[in-house]
Amino acid sequence: MSLGASLRTDPKRELWFAWYSTVAFYSLYSVVFFVLTRTQPPGRPWLTPEQTVAWFADRHWGLLVGFALIFVLGGFSATSISLITYSIRRMSVSRAYAYSYLILYAIAAIPGFLFICVAMTVGAMRPERDPALLHWLYDFGFLSFSGTMGVFLVGSLIWMAAILLDKNGVFPRWFGYLNLCNALTEVVIAPSWIFQRGVLAWNGVIAWWIDVAVFGMYTVVFIYLLRSLIQRDDLGTGPVPAPVITG
Amino acid sequence: MSRSGERVIFWTLPAVAVIWIAAFLLFPGFVPPMSPKASAAEVAAFYRDHLSRVRYSMILFNWFCVALIPILMLLVERMRGMAHRTPVLRYCVIGAAGAAPIAFLTSTVFWLIAAFRPDRSPALTQMCNDLAWITFTCGVPFLIGLCVFVAVAIAYDDQEQPVFPRWVGRFNLVIALALVPACFAGLTLDGPFAWNGFVSFWVKNLAIALWIVVMAVVLRQAMDRDRVVAGAAA
Repeated sequence: MSLGASLRTDPKRELWFAWYSTVAFYSLYSVVFFVLTRTQPPGRPWLTPEQTVAWFADRHWGLLVGFALIFVLGGFSATSISLITYSIRRMSVSRAYAYSYLILYAIAAIPGFLFICVAMTVGAMRPERDPALLHWLYDFGFLSFSGTMGVFLVGSLIWMAAILLDKNGVFPRWFGYLNLCNALTEVVIAPSWIFQRGVLAWNGVIAWWIDVAVFGMYTVVFIYLLRSLIQRDDLGTGPVPAPVITG
Repeated sequence: MSRSGERVIFWTLPAVAVIWIAAFLLFPGFVPPMSPKASAAEVAAFYRDHLSRVRYSMILFNWFCVALIPILMLLVERMRGMAHRTPVLRYCVIGAAGAAPIAFLTSTVFWLIAAFRPDRSPALTQMCNDLAWITFTCGVPFLIGLCVFVAVAIAYDDQEQPVFPRWVGRFNLVIALALVPACFAGLTLDGPFAWNGFVSFWVKNLAIALWIVVMAVVLRQAMDRDRVVAGAAA
């Protein structure tokens, strides 16, 4: 079925809307962070205030335009969260799991990505600002982005527990354990609040390279698994409203 | 499904609106909006000269910017009647409705920090002021998402008597578009796109105000119809 038909006439069109939006959101996110703003891989935590002035100058328009795009489209992060919440509703576990995941990840958006967008925009908009303050904005941006941990930690564990307890076979068990790997990335990032150099610093081998590899793999896998969930779902073609799932 | 108490939530809206308008007029930096071109010394002087009004207006916003959440949940409840097969769009709206006021709340925190120690170094006060204005002006991704999700939900509500009229979906898309230019306010310190400019300040904020008024009217109509249907069923 074509994309247009999936979104217009398919009985599962709202699921497809959420799924295509999820793919578009993560693609935009990658382009903004890796290409436009060049904030991934992250800047070095040991830069001096004067060096952060040069860091901001080097990517002035990239930061301003890239994060403006996140200000426009960041709300679409809600689509993957909603689809995952829906996946938990298909499981044989209490709605409490689904609602916990929804609220945890919805809250996570503010410290998880809005703060870095604001900090870097404020940094880039006045290159003449006192270097010590630019340094502070640089730290605020990277630490809030990497160091927002608990919501993702507990959120991943909730999804994991739901998958492992589920008797409907919504996701394979191995994916439950992959959630544990994602949760552990939020544990090993904690020392980045303390160390300015080395493997545990926010740009280190453990805190960045391994974490990003795990998170990237996890994201690709769950987007693929959500797609097969939608394909398998049989919502029928009968008249609505007769909600298949309420609540 | 109980609808009990929904009217109580709905009628908090006029009170919330009065408080928002009062706080908007009380904050000396909104009419006219502060210029991003003001020097650090001018920004520091602004906070020294208008300390009480900054504090009281932002305390009001901090209290009541989240008061829109219960009203948005009335919208979510109306979505149950839509011709959807899954709750996924309702979850999208819940997620966006939670994050949007918290972004606003964050900007009030920066304004209040700027006002907390007016004798701070002017450069620091200016940075807090910049953080507040950029969060306030550009921090609209969840509102844009909310409008788009509502628009899609209405487009997919293809039944004889849809919960909201079709035009409400198109109206939501127009409002989403009206909010987009404000996201680029960091790129310039003057002109219509700067944070105090016609587009980024007036168009954006009037679009939000118009959205609240129009959605309140159609929400009220949908709630009335819901009650008639529920009454007939009983």
